[in-house]
Amino acid sequence: MFRASYLARKGGQLALTLFAVITFDFLLFRVLPGDPVRLIARAGHLSPEAAAQLRASFGLDHSLPIQYWYYLRNLFRGDFGFSITYSRPVIDILKERMLNTLILLGAATVLIVVLGIGIGVLAAARRGSRIDSGTVVSALVFWSLPTFWTGMILLFLLGVWLHAFPISGVETPGAVYTSAWDHFTDITSHLVLPTITLALVDIAQFILITRSSLVDVLTEDFILTAKAKGLPRRRVIWKHGFRNALLPVITASALYISLVVGGAIQVETVFSWPGMGRLTYDAVMRRDYPILEACFLIFAVTVIIANFMTDLLYQVLDPRVREA
Amino acid sequence: MIRARKPIVLVIGAVLLLTGVLSSCTREEEGGATRTTLRVGWSSEPDKLNPITSYSTEGHEVMALVYDKLVEYDTSLQAQPGLAESWTYSDDGLDITYNLRSGVTWHDGVPFTSADAKYTFDTIHEYELGEYSQWLVDMTDVETPDDTTLIIRFSRPQAFNPGLAIPILPEHVWGGMSKDEIRKFQNETPIGTGPYTFTEWKGGESLTIERNADWWGDPPAAQRIVYVLYSNEDVMSQALRAGEIDILTEVPPTIWDGLQGVENVKAVSLPSFSFHHIGFNVDTDPASLGNPLLLDPVIRQALNYAIDRSQLVELALAGHGQPGSVLIPQALGDWQLQIPPEQQMNADPDKANQMLEDAGYTDTDGDGVREASDGSPLEFRLIAIESTTVDVRAAELFVDAAAVVGIKLDLQTMDENTLGNTVYNTKDPDWDIFVWGWDSGVADPDYMLGIVLCSQIGGNNDVFYCDKQYDALYTKQATTVDQGARVPIVDQMQQMFYESGVYIVMWYQDKLQAYRTDTWENWTETPGGMVYNFTRDNYLQITPVA
Repeated sequence: MFRASYLARKGGQLALTLFAVITFDFLLFRVLPGDPVRLIARAGHLSPEAAAQLRASFGLDHSLPIQYWYYLRNLFRGDFGFSITYSRPVIDILKERMLNTLILLGAATVLIVVLGIGIGVLAAARRGSRIDSGTVVSALVFWSLPTFWTGMILLFLLGVWLHAFPISGVETPGAVYTSAWDHFTDITSHLVLPTITLALVDIAQFILITRSSLVDVLTEDFILTAKAKGLPRRRVIWKHGFRNALLPVITASALYISLVVGGAIQVETVFSWPGMGRLTYDAVMRRDYPILEACFLIFAVTVIIANFMTDLLYQVLDPRVREA
Repeated sequence: MIRARKPIVLVIGAVLLLTGVLSSCTREEEGGATRTTLRVGWSSEPDKLNPITSYSTEGHEVMALVYDKLVEYDTSLQAQPGLAESWTYSDDGLDITYNLRSGVTWHDGVPFTSADAKYTFDTIHEYELGEYSQWLVDMTDVETPDDTTLIIRFSRPQAFNPGLAIPILPEHVWGGMSKDEIRKFQNETPIGTGPYTFTEWKGGESLTIERNADWWGDPPAAQRIVYVLYSNEDVMSQALRAGEIDILTEVPPTIWDGLQGVENVKAVSLPSFSFHHIGFNVDTDPASLGNPLLLDPVIRQALNYAIDRSQLVELALAGHGQPGSVLIPQALGDWQLQIPPEQQMNADPDKANQMLEDAGYTDTDGDGVREASDGSPLEFRLIAIESTTVDVRAAELFVDAAAVVGIKLDLQTMDENTLGNTVYNTKDPDWDIFVWGWDSGVADPDYMLGIVLCSQIGGNNDVFYCDKQYDALYTKQATTVDQGARVPIVDQMQQMFYESGVYIVMWYQDKLQAYRTDTWENWTETPGGMVYNFTRDNYLQITPVA
């Protein structure tokens, strides 16, 4: 399916980009103005001995190349260092937060991609109808809603007023679960409001991209041919049309997935969902450099890998790309 | 036409389905016979669970329930027996003898003895640990004649009973650790003797403690206390309305106003142990990079007169506080010196102008800013914490007020760490004026009075104020056990520091809290707060609403 030379070239580019990102991440946190030790210490008064000790414990007493070597070595061991604010290994914190983020954004992404594509295809199939224009207009309206505000409104309507769903956290604090199913439903109920918020605001891009891409394809000659052959409408749209309109949708999905890892900071904040977005935000506010360094790296690597995967998917899905 | 409706029907259907299925799940959690869990909402987490080195209010709040002290505050903030059933002072006032409870065990089952208490006091004293070591400066010796008697000897009488401040640590857990190890100790599973045992801390989510069945006191009604973290204060107040939590630890003024009249919710405003202030850099060291003009008390006093503290309370604090004057906040009651309004340096720009004019600070070049005799303008840098909106608002009002008396202030906002690092730079402090605040560490005037001691430069002292006479008075009040004799000394210190004009105490903000009235009752509205206060008794006294 793939030519070896193509794979080698793409793989080489991937490795090079990853290396550049890792190096940039290392340098970024060492060229920041100000003495990191002062920031780590926080306290007003710092004796020279205490400062030297802190410097040593964070490996800041070595020269830059040596620090870089340690950094690379630790990275390969999965050691991201020690968080200043949480006083715990960064990797442990990342694991917890990443899981929460994946749960929330996984649910939202599936909902958004599936519903978004479905609605987009149906709107394109009825191009020019009232349903089509209605879909486009409401998609634009939802797209323009501020996430924070939408979350608050949903929280108030469904959480406080109707009392239908819990409004914060991943699970009921202090709850004792009698079974795994109990635990599962508790998490699911906490998922509802943040997921709906994300879906409402983010679904529009998938609807619009799917619709416009499919509308283009549906005017092509081969569609006319397919119709002329007397194929069922459904088959024409999905098999002939949608298959060919898929590429922009794949691109949008890949971009969305790379955003997912960064967390959805606004939704996480409104619904007190302890995910990557809030972790990053808190780390910025508290200047927790080890956490920030790890977060930046993960975000960058995810974007790079998601793009790499998209490139490969293109090859699978579209013979025209393969020839290029 | 009918088929075309499908997408919208689909979406609505899906949402309704989800709603239906899941709402049935959530209901179950709220049922149950008697209420057993107290749910507390907070907007920030403990820094760590080490009772010695934790510097957050949240950390102290939890640790106060896990660890006992020898003496505890009750809800009127009076001393009551803790691990010590009683205590007596020797005739010369130099020794305190604590009679400890017998039969007390640590959460891991090991018996508690006077040796644990001795270990705690000795270690804090020897290693100068945390803020607690300040209460043990004069300590000379700790003796344990038997398992239930503890005698602490001091070189001078102690006005403040250190038993009120220091959590007692288990020697079998902490013993053998070096100073550095104790400072770094994470204490992930705290072991104390307190009414609650530590259960779990889910970072970013919640912290849970459970009732200790073997505690020496009357068992509290709440079997479990859960602290729930909210990343947004608006949402936190919505959670109180929705009944997800029972009490809010701190409520911002506008949100507090919004909770007025909400069904089953009571919003409470209490005097606090805190103030916000404007501080002047009065470092006399030649290395200081602060503007030397601020060393002239006339300029500082003029700035004190220039500002209207009532206006600050109205405009910056939305009225939720009292105009400030001296170092001791309102909640300390009789300890606070009452300066008659007509004698206060407040809201009198005419007087400020007159003072500056008389001292020879005149606007010689007509640019609206006064100059000193050597031609240097009365222009100062002003820094404030960006995220503390009340401070930024106050700083803006201060800039306007100073302009009226011919003093120019250049306001710059920054994050709290940067401001802290700037202000507490003892080598070459490069700042002129800041806006910040203080919370008292104990329910005693000692803490606030101690901030501006010479010895606290490099410690708490944020303005480099140093007056040997003030320091001598501090020592005198700290060693005067008789309250009647101590009050005049404390008053004199407040008066003295007030006149120096080094702090403009802007306001004593109210402690705003709110709780549900349909879940737990018997809350006592203690000055300083029902929770987040020096007393833990509210947690122990509340009962479920029948």
